[in-house]
Amino acid sequence: MPRLFYQLIFIGTALLGMAGCERSEPPVFRFNSVEWVKQEKTHLSDDEHFPEAYKTEIGTIMTALFGTPDDPKFPFFLGDDDPAHDIISIENLRMAAGPTRVDKRERASGLYREHCAHCHGITGNGAGDTAASLEPYPRDFRLGKFKFKSTPLRSPPTDHDLTEILVNGIPGSAMPSFRTLPEDQIQSLVEYVKYLTMRGQFERFLLGELAALDGEPLIDLSLVDKPSGEEPSEDDIEEFEDQMYTVIGEGLQERIIARWLRPERKVTKIEAAPPEFDMQHQEHAQFVQQGRELFFAKGNCMQCHGDTGIGDGQLNNFDDWTNDWIKSADVDPGDPASYSDFSAVGALPPRPVKPRNLTRHYYRGGDHPDDLYLRLRNGIEGTPMPASTAMTSDEIWAVVAYVRAMPYLDSKKNGSVKPVNKKQVMR
Amino acid sequence: MKRVFFCTLLFVLCVSMSSVSSAQDGWGNLTGQIVISGDVPENQPEAVKDNPDKAVCLVDGKVPLDDGVVVNDKNQLRDVYVMMYTGRGADTPDTYHPSYEAQKAVKLTLDNDKCRFVPKASFARPGQTLILKNSDNVGHNCRIATMEHEHNVNIVKNAASEIVLGEESDKIPGEVKCDIHQWMDAIILIRDNPYVSISDKDGKFKIENIPAGDWKFQFWHKKGGYLKTIEVKGYEPDRRGTIEATIKSGETLDLGTLSLPGAALTK
Ligand code: HEC
Ligand code: HEC
Repeated sequence: MPRLFYQLIFIGTALLGMAGCERSEPPVFRFNSVEWVKQEKTHLSDDEHFPEAYKTEIGTIMTALFGTPDDPKFPFFLGDDDPAHDIISIENLRMAAGPTRVDKRERASGLYREHCAHCHGITGNGAGDTAASLEPYPRDFRLGKFKFKSTPLRSPPTDHDLTEILVNGIPGSAMPSFRTLPEDQIQSLVEYVKYLTMRGQFERFLLGELAALDGEPLIDLSLVDKPSGEEPSEDDIEEFEDQMYTVIGEGLQERIIARWLRPERKVTKIEAAPPEFDMQHQEHAQFVQQGRELFFAKGNCMQCHGDTGIGDGQLNNFDDWTNDWIKSADVDPGDPASYSDFSAVGALPPRPVKPRNLTRHYYRGGDHPDDLYLRLRNGIEGTPMPASTAMTSDEIWAVVAYVRAMPYLDSKKNGSVKPVNKKQVMR
Repeated sequence: MKRVFFCTLLFVLCVSMSSVSSAQDGWGNLTGQIVISGDVPENQPEAVKDNPDKAVCLVDGKVPLDDGVVVNDKNQLRDVYVMMYTGRGADTPDTYHPSYEAQKAVKLTLDNDKCRFVPKASFARPGQTLILKNSDNVGHNCRIATMEHEHNVNIVKNAASEIVLGEESDKIPGEVKCDIHQWMDAIILIRDNPYVSISDKDGKFKIENIPAGDWKFQFWHKKGGYLKTIEVKGYEPDRRGTIEATIKSGETLDLGTLSLPGAALTK
């Protein structure tokens, strides 16, 4: 009960406080119009649209809970006792948010706009000014998916994972290293990434609710705040409580925030590598050979990465950030006319996700053996790269050993690169 | 002013909350049979194109048709989820019939057979084990993506991998896909509330041991989403494809023949 109690105080006062006061200070978080168009295409017939009023309502709820790019807020429903204080601090959000500046005591703020927004966008929608020209596109945080982490699919990354990404960058992509930033600034950016992610996840959730609404508001304040001033009935109250629970309690608190609370408990255990993994070990060569065999048999790796490992096995797949809108609405990725409604609201042209070229010595998620172990054990979220569930840890280590040896082996022995793919894949 | 009002409201709310559950004894069933009225949408050939594994994926040497809409010779429709509604504003039972406890311990198999997932539509409980089987002589990956669950498992030819589902519950079914053979698709609903039935090859469904009471039931199909145009005698499905039905202790509520205009299945 107390949980509900605080939720209601929080959102109720925030929403009532919002009514009527328009904030028009730029910049603003951009509404997720791609998701809106997708939901319309999924649930309505061609000539139907959701009422525009939903855009305003969603905007109001979002601002009440998460504030603005200059003035971030976070829904700490339980006040000072809220467990979310462990993962987000308002001070850190403020350091990352807002316009770029340094105060009299030389404390920097506006870090996100200084270092990240031109790629990831103010909203974290992956659509900053430079995004369209980059391959891969900068990450859209709003889906809540991360590729390079120590946790399995659908479990958020730990702070440590995000810190590693910021410190090391993502080799082979435009994502730079921020190694030179002091620790506290990195931490503030890590929290800001989580903030933009949870915000984006919640907005998508709200948009996903629209189809089932039948024109009624997401949260109908008039149930309890009657224009006539009359007392709400029992039924009104029950209905209101229900809406609050579905939207805020379940939708935001349980489905989103609670899962970000302690990602550490989901971290995948990395089993120790067998002694043969060591390059100096006398049986290392056999171990690599075993890895090679697994690559073609139990690993099934050549089916995507190609016989030579150059990455030419599967070239027509899309990542989840793209599939998210192209799959649901009869889009033909090869025909821009088929997705013009999406382009009009900012969707970037779909581009296939390429299996990595394993004959080059670069790994986006880091080249430490543990990094590769995790990629194989868990797969890479948001991409076709699957988890090798059926392999034992020693088998995974053998494949890691082979993968690490690949750039130095003559991979043509395994087969030939398909001529059509040669140009496409070599990068 | 508004705030003062709001705080009194909270008090009212908390008091009114504690008196909801009403006693129920006895259980009942819900049955029916779904048939398509009008034209049955045609299934197109699967987009096998020149996939290198074509040889394994053909059926009798031919490119098979998609299994999006499967009917028998009487146009009775398979793969409709008939499920107790657990979405927005739903009233759901606090306890389930004990017979559903055993369901969780069963290992559910999802096979890959000639580049097709079998079965097309499944229902699993959180925590249940899924055997991802591959009867084909090529590798597949099995990508399960629902609202709450995600797995992407490499499945080697002629072998199987097991996964254990997490504890979250979905509200509507999600997708199963293979990236290597992109036309492959199946659907899966993962949720704790066990009152779900998937219509069989004759369009028949049966949900057993529902607590007596008034519950909402939803009709959903991959190609139609919420089946708001389904005709159920004596009921008017709403926009979410739900009806409210009264389940009586010891009785089976037979909804008879439910007819669905073929035009609903065009997604
Ligand atoms: C020059 C463009 C660019 C800049 C600047 C940039 N990024 Fe990125 N970022 C990318 C690209 C491109 C990717 C996607 C890489 C991929 O998908 O493999 C990415 C991915 C990410 C990811 C996802 C990592 C994962 O595991 O999936 C995070 C988190 C991230 N960036 C945070 C930041 C933050 C924080 C900043 C500012 C401090 C920043 N980025 C600055 C281009 C950029
Ligand atoms: C279903 C297709 C598929 C299969 C099967 C597959 N991969 Fe991948 N793999 C990919 C894709 C796609 C990527 C690129 C992901 C991305 O965009 O970051 C990738 C990326 C990688 C990476 C790069 C990781 C990094 O940090 O950059 C490695 C290493 C790798 N795969 C190894 C393997 C091995 C070893 C196997 C077999 C056990 C395998 N893959 C099986 C599709 C696949």
